[in-house]
Amino acid sequence: MADVDAGHSEVVSDEETSKEFMCPICLDLLYKPIVIACGHICCFWCLHHTMDSIRASKCPMCRQPYIYFANICPLLHNLLMKTNHVDYERRGKETLEIEKSNDCFSSQDIECLNSCCEGTDENKISISDVICSGCKEILFRPSVLNCGHVYCESCMVTLTNDKLKCHVCESIHPGNFPKVCLDLDYFLKKKFPQDYYHRKELFQSTKVRQDQYLNQSSCTSAVVGENSKIEEDLIQMQNLHPCVGCDTCGMIPIIGKRYKCKDCKESIGFDMCEVCYNSSSKRQGRFNQRHTPDHVLLLENSSLEEVPE
Amino acid sequence: MLDAARVQKELVECNKDCHISGISVDLHRDGSSLYHLTGTISGPLDTPYEGGAFEIDIVLSESYPFQPPKMQFKTKVWHPNISSQNGAICLDILKDQWSPALTLKTALLSLQALLSAPAPNDPQDAVVAKQCLNDHTTFVATARYWTEAFAMRTTVGTEEKVKKLMEMGFPENLVRSALENVKGDENMALEKLCSG
Repeated sequence: MADVDAGHSEVVSDEETSKEFMCPICLDLLYKPIVIACGHICCFWCLHHTMDSIRASKCPMCRQPYIYFANICPLLHNLLMKTNHVDYERRGKETLEIEKSNDCFSSQDIECLNSCCEGTDENKISISDVICSGCKEILFRPSVLNCGHVYCESCMVTLTNDKLKCHVCESIHPGNFPKVCLDLDYFLKKKFPQDYYHRKELFQSTKVRQDQYLNQSSCTSAVVGENSKIEEDLIQMQNLHPCVGCDTCGMIPIIGKRYKCKDCKESIGFDMCEVCYNSSSKRQGRFNQRHTPDHVLLLENSSLEEVPE
Repeated sequence: MLDAARVQKELVECNKDCHISGISVDLHRDGSSLYHLTGTISGPLDTPYEGGAFEIDIVLSESYPFQPPKMQFKTKVWHPNISSQNGAICLDILKDQWSPALTLKTALLSLQALLSAPAPNDPQDAVVAKQCLNDHTTFVATARYWTEAFAMRTTVGTEEKVKKLMEMGFPENLVRSALENVKGDENMALEKLCSG
């Protein structure tokens, strides 16, 4: 009897978490979650389906425009795998079936963040599952970069000189500072109340941090300047490649020069925008393409309209 | 392909608290397909639509929820943003402002809100809109009359009609099918029964 009861209560708590981390599009548990710059979370494929391929996309929840299809968030991916193991596996199987029938795959190797804890109780989450990539303490008001790595909002300001660059993967975050992911923040507050409030108190007592935080707005404006050209092009529908996204930074559609890989065999192809082409990115494609740095990328101009000088 | 799992979840979720929200969604009575549904909203309090139950025809496309559901009032309603002729609805979220994060329930809630807050400056039915702007008293009276005439066919009312027609000597099964065929209009049902 006791066993039955224990099982029952577990089911209930599972349901609660799945409500918490429910994708607003498929209304199921999030699978391969992506956090948009506005802080809202969607499944990889759900988000991809909602994106506009010829102009800026809008967040399904808050309608904030964005053009970067961010990377899957490994922290959330691992967190969900632990907290909702059964459902997450089911979602994985279902998604893989659809991917096979479409012959188009999402990224299959998502980094495991917490390998040191292997061997202990797999389904139990601990602080080490939810630490900031910067300060290595429990996340406080977490924001997620375009590369998928998670930082405290207050740690993010330490990443920037002139560009917002991730410490973990060294990729540059395009666009403004991402907003706090409130769903994750709420989860942390509920799951680790003591540690969370401890962080909160520390944050409030550290005057320096706050000042830095206030300075954030000035840093933001520097990043904004860089992106204004992109926005201008978007509005005027110029220089863009409809239905083609950059596989490195996730910009959809690609604005400006487009480089296409001639060695990737996958039918979806592999493309890069000019910025990513000129940076030394080691990333594989978002759709599981087996792109390697020795592949040859060619400038693709076919779909760009010729503008007479 | 239609996301059947999502639609089924929506139906369960929506009907869970229909006694509070006054909103429910069911399969369309002609079939058992998830593509064709019927929504019901109760008229908001303190409006001419109070006490009415309005049926809305819902058709989902293959690409729902990435495309908006097609919604149309089946119950006749007098409202500037709803056609008095065919029930077509003028509401941005059912057109270009649709988002896949919206659901059938939120869309129906928006329709309920539309009943509370007519927008005669962005009309679907020009005649109603003009009346709403120029002669508000008549507008309210007409809207009320339409609600009472078309949206207040409660089950109790049907039973009364059945009883009345049976007292005239018609058998119950014929009375019920006749009423069903004319959507509950008592006089038309009588006519039908008399003509055999």
